[in-house]
Amino acid sequence: MSGRLHRPQRWAWFLERPGYLLFMARELTGFFVAGYLVVLLVTLGRLGGGETAFAEWLQTLSTPGWTVAHAVALAASVWHSVTWFAAVPQAMPIQLGEKRLPAPLAAVVMGYGPWLTVTTIIVWGVLR
Amino acid sequence: MPAEQTMTLEIFRYHPETDSEPRFQAYEVPYDEDWVVLDAINWIKDHVDGTLTHRWSCRMGVCGSCGMMVNGDPKLTCAAFLKDYYPRPVKVEPLVNFPVERDLVVSLDGFMEKLEAVKPYIIRDDVNDTSGGEYLQSPAELARYKQYSMCINCMLCYAACPVAGHEDEFLGPAALALGHRYNRDSRDRGRAERLDVMLAGEAIWGCTFVGECTAVCPKHVDPAGAIQQAKAVAAQEYFRRFAMPRGAKDAGA
Repeated sequence: MSGRLHRPQRWAWFLERPGYLLFMARELTGFFVAGYLVVLLVTLGRLGGGETAFAEWLQTLSTPGWTVAHAVALAASVWHSVTWFAAVPQAMPIQLGEKRLPAPLAAVVMGYGPWLTVTTIIVWGVLR
Repeated sequence: MPAEQTMTLEIFRYHPETDSEPRFQAYEVPYDEDWVVLDAINWIKDHVDGTLTHRWSCRMGVCGSCGMMVNGDPKLTCAAFLKDYYPRPVKVEPLVNFPVERDLVVSLDGFMEKLEAVKPYIIRDDVNDTSGGEYLQSPAELARYKQYSMCINCMLCYAACPVAGHEDEFLGPAALALGHRYNRDSRDRGRAERLDVMLAGEAIWGCTFVGECTAVCPKHVDPAGAIQQAKAVAAQEYFRRFAMPRGAKDAGA
């Protein structure tokens, strides 16, 4: 007699359901967001290092390798943001009396709206 | 007379008295488009193999007893129609992330302990004092928790949760959703007691918001959402206790 049967989780559990793969994609794209942050910090460091150092850094960033890296990181960051904005209405529902603000509207109010507003302000500040 | 249509069910078998490893056994069952997987399993039990062991009760998605893995998905077998799988074989297994007692029956012990830990009932000191009449609640106050009160403890969410599969400290989707349900109830005063449990170790923080618990929930409880909201409350309480270690605990609702 061997008693209760314990079935250990497979190491490749994330392959078992499409939802798990989407979760892993969401989590892994976080590395690209972190990568962006590192590039920004280095850029600020070079800016503090003087005009020549900053110009050299900008020159480096304009090479094809960096351009491709930025395109990939941008796509990953957008996917990361979109998946989290989709989750916002679940995590922070807006209750209005007996009703709850519909999820798409809540995503706009708490996700896309502030995102677009901040992005617009930054773009306006850079380009004006 | 046309030949009777049939389909194949491949059923997980494990008898602890005789089996050291589980196995799958194939059964041919009559195909009826009105049948659900549970009907087919009951037919096998009644007509082919009385040793097949499974759990069921209401047959209408209320009792939460007949949850099993159907072709890899956690399902209430009373709500999984054969016509959605026909003519392909259907593979039926006990819910994953639970120890198997026998065939399709899993052990509930761990789940019941976690459920009990979150105190899924209204807590207040004056619970026996009815001199003030009923504890009134507005429709808006009811709406704050009603969705989370629809849980039938079918445990499909635990079978869908990868964290529940490897982190014993994690209380899991249903227990946390029910704890959150009572924390949001205007009649309840037991939030501090529940937060003591939720703040411990990986009890709530183990959740990484995979979200599959919500995807498989047959009652649209949204345990994933409940857990994220409960995390926000728990985080506030954590910092409050950190800032005021000798101060009053959360006063309740």
